[in-house]
Amino acid sequence: MATETTERPQVATDTKRFQWYKVRTGMFAWMLHRLTGVALVVYLTVHIWGLRTLSDADAFNALITSYHAPIFKVGEFLLLGAVVYHALNGLRIVLIDFLGWSPNQKRLFWTLGAVAAIIMVVGGYPIIATLVSHFFG
Amino acid sequence: MPRYGNARSNARNWFIHRITGTFLVFLLITHFWVQHYDSELASVAHQVITTEQAEAGELPTYPDAAQEGVRARVGEGVEVTPYDVVMQRLADPVYAVLWKAFNLFFLVFALHHGFYGLNNVMSDYIRSDSGKLIAKTLSWTLAVILFIVGAYSVITAGWGYTPPM
Repeated sequence: MATETTERPQVATDTKRFQWYKVRTGMFAWMLHRLTGVALVVYLTVHIWGLRTLSDADAFNALITSYHAPIFKVGEFLLLGAVVYHALNGLRIVLIDFLGWSPNQKRLFWTLGAVAAIIMVVGGYPIIATLVSHFFG
Repeated sequence: MPRYGNARSNARNWFIHRITGTFLVFLLITHFWVQHYDSELASVAHQVITTEQAEAGELPTYPDAAQEGVRARVGEGVEVTPYDVVMQRLADPVYAVLWKAFNLFFLVFALHHGFYGLNNVMSDYIRSDSGKLIAKTLSWTLAVILFIVGAYSVITAGWGYTPPM
């Protein structure tokens, strides 16, 4: 029995290895979470490795002094950004996982974004002010 | 058929990841407050020291409160180095126990959270089963090494500390 069928929609058949997705808020949040997460694991490794100097006053003082170089001050600011983003977005994920999805997701995301911005200004001010007075002061 | 590990242990690790993540936020706030903002204990100075200055022997200068805190314990007029500021916590007979316990918790939580997360990411991008196994083995070996190094450093920190004269 012949039935009228609409033509099957064309499925992309090219076998490209990477698929480009339309990046929306949630996707962007997820990508940034991964990126900051991997960066924080690298930082954690370096940080713990540096703890070995806790038994040697001279080595410790030299290490801490080297961490006050301009490049590390910039790194400190980026680290603050990565930590704040990963922590707040992580809390958002835990809320979704344990309390369920809510229609107010976007509002939650941008509210946490505002909280992050405040922490960045308050926590980042001493770092940026130090850098500015070093280079322009 | 690819092996995805034991489903129950995966679910447990997923749950632990959420718990360690939530705890880390609070542990990190405490860590940050003490290390960066408490003016007496702060072990981070907001100051740029270039490589040349560091080679000339310059050390970061701490807030007056931190310097006075050290001098109140070890004597007036001593030169306060970053190490002395940190040793206020880690060589103190009472606080050291508290802070070392805190740091050991922090270490375990951060390592488990970080390396479990890293394995999630790696298993998404590494396609072959043997590659996954190698990445998993190497990363958890690194985590165990870091745990041993970190725990040893934290526990023995301040042993035999002689305050500046």
